[in-house]
Amino acid sequence: MSNENSRNFKSWPVTVILSLFSVPILVMYLYLIVDTFTNTEPGSLIPSEFTLEHWRFLWHTDPGAVSIWTATANTFIFASVMTLVILSVSLTAGYALSRLNMPFRRFFLGGVLTLHAFPTVTLVIALFIVLQMVGLYNTLTGVILIKSALMLPFGIWVMKGFYDTVPWEIEMAGVQDGASRFMVWHKLVLPQIKPGLIALGVFSFLEGWSEYVLPQIFTPEADVQVLSVYLASLIADDQKFDFNLFKSIGLFYVIPVVLLYLIFQNKLMNIYGGGSKG
Amino acid sequence: MRQRIGLLGLGFMTPALIMVVVFFLIPVVMTGFFAFTNMGTATGVSGGEYLLTPKIIKHFEAGDQFDKTTINALSSTSYSVSDAALAKAEKAGLKKKYLQEIGKRLNGKTYAKRRDFIRDLKKLKSRPRNQRALIKSTESFSQSIINKRFETLEGFKIALQNTGVDLQPVQTDRVIEASYTGWVWTTENFTTMFNKPDTWFVAANTVIYVILVLAFNIGFGLFLALTTFYLPSGQSAFFRAVWLLPRISPPVLYVLLWKWLTWDTGFVSTILGWFGMAPYNFMLGSVESAWMVVVLINGFVGASLGMILFSSAIQAIPSSILYASEVDGANRWQQVRYIILPQLRWPILFTTSYTTLSLLTSFEYILLSTEGGPGGSTNVWSLEAYYTALNNYSGNLQYGYGAAMALVLVTIGVTVSLLYLRLFKFDDLVSRPRIES
Repeated sequence: MSNENSRNFKSWPVTVILSLFSVPILVMYLYLIVDTFTNTEPGSLIPSEFTLEHWRFLWHTDPGAVSIWTATANTFIFASVMTLVILSVSLTAGYALSRLNMPFRRFFLGGVLTLHAFPTVTLVIALFIVLQMVGLYNTLTGVILIKSALMLPFGIWVMKGFYDTVPWEIEMAGVQDGASRFMVWHKLVLPQIKPGLIALGVFSFLEGWSEYVLPQIFTPEADVQVLSVYLASLIADDQKFDFNLFKSIGLFYVIPVVLLYLIFQNKLMNIYGGGSKG
Repeated sequence: MRQRIGLLGLGFMTPALIMVVVFFLIPVVMTGFFAFTNMGTATGVSGGEYLLTPKIIKHFEAGDQFDKTTINALSSTSYSVSDAALAKAEKAGLKKKYLQEIGKRLNGKTYAKRRDFIRDLKKLKSRPRNQRALIKSTESFSQSIINKRFETLEGFKIALQNTGVDLQPVQTDRVIEASYTGWVWTTENFTTMFNKPDTWFVAANTVIYVILVLAFNIGFGLFLALTTFYLPSGQSAFFRAVWLLPRISPPVLYVLLWKWLTWDTGFVSTILGWFGMAPYNFMLGSVESAWMVVVLINGFVGASLGMILFSSAIQAIPSSILYASEVDGANRWQQVRYIILPQLRWPILFTTSYTTLSLLTSFEYILLSTEGGPGGSTNVWSLEAYYTALNNYSGNLQYGYGAAMALVLVTIGVTVSLLYLRLFKFDDLVSRPRIES
């Protein structure tokens, strides 16, 4: 309701209060950008000089350290393969749960909802041991499988939601004309849920790109590190503490997220509404 | 026809089912099984060996199951002449003639003390003349169970008999149990958990954490949704975008920004420094400030979920009702109190239950920020389980104990989810398929 000229109400006090609350976030993200290009004297908040030295990690890797590009490639592989797995599996499972009359349907639906909020830490202890036994510890394959599986209930639930919005009439018409259910799904329903597919795909990619805990547990070793683990291990190293460097890497890390978010903003809002973080 | 659709449905579900079975069902069953073992780095996951160490003997001394003489006998070294020992001695390079003589005259004899063995050896003709060489020659015949590894139970039992110590069956069992290095079935994890004061401290922390963050999430989410609803559209879009930033940022970066804000070299300390205050690390400086930072870090992320859900619920309210109330002279507070809030009952309930569950089991932001510190004061249940089983400084990972802690979480989590399914009328969510029904 944007009728700011209402008699009973003035909007400026609300603006002031909201701005005050938002100051910490604004300051944090403003300095995230400013600090990567400048140097500031200790005890001051105004930058004293312009510099590009904080971005040297892009073209220079310390001997013995991991290159940022290796970590970036790992992150990209991790996030995109995981997205593909989630999409392909939940594409069929979501349809089955939404539309097909099959045995145990109620049970599956209840299961998906319960698993959705399942405590990760429970599964992780057992998976840690299993992965070490089958030799997938410290490999991208292992962590991709685990992350996709843990996100699967969420993906299926979202996909089911998108299938639910497809009008029954389309399918009815197809079946009347003699097409099989598989044909109907493939030729008539799939084109309808393309927006949902894109939304879930982008969302999964962002989730994978940002994930920290699972790669930290399952792929801590240098050459399979993803960006989050790379950055976290730099921060944890007390020897070379340099906020400006961390922020530059952080900004480099978050740029794809912001871009994807800006492009797919409206589609993503649907899913964020479903919520996957505390 | 109907059956074929059923098959198509199951076929469509198969990939998902396989992943769920492999990555949810099996791990949960394994967790349940680990929870009743003492598995850890010390025991390994596969089988173990039998090894009686001086440490275990010391442990026996403290208990009252063994008397002093038995303990001394267990830990002492005895000497016995047998074919195996002779073969060993030959390998060690002792003279053949000497060994033959020992075999002929002393075979089958056992000595509790080295002195007695040497006295008998001195009667032999072919013995080494050098006193030191003579003593050294006894070594191959020595029999001690201490610090020797046995791969099978049988081997260990025989070695135990060979020591010649007179053990009662109960004592034998006790020795075997204590010497086993592999994992065993036990309910000790749960008794320890209940009896350790730390557990209750962590449990209390978890409750505090969930309540505080939840209150912040819901309260502030509601505040954001209401205020942005009443603001001009440009402003509200701006504020919503700002409050979404914490949610879309990767946790590592987001917590890094908080570190920069709250550490002693950070933003807040710099500003306070202008007023002559000493730099202070709010994240780890004191228990209260650490809690405040933890709640804010999680709260700023969580508030956006409430904001999104409540905003869309508010927008669903027919605007004619609001305009009507406006005409009747209702102010904003009255609109909120009597029109909007009653409409938000279900979204608030949903967000509350969803957030409770995910807060109960999430530890990512605490792990990245305070790591449970200072001194464990912001440690929560799931983080403690993670530290116990997967990552701690001592390097002694206790899979069994960690699994037991995790099992408690699963029990709570599944119970609560099932309750929610009832509360939110699961049956409404499951509308029946219409074709072929």
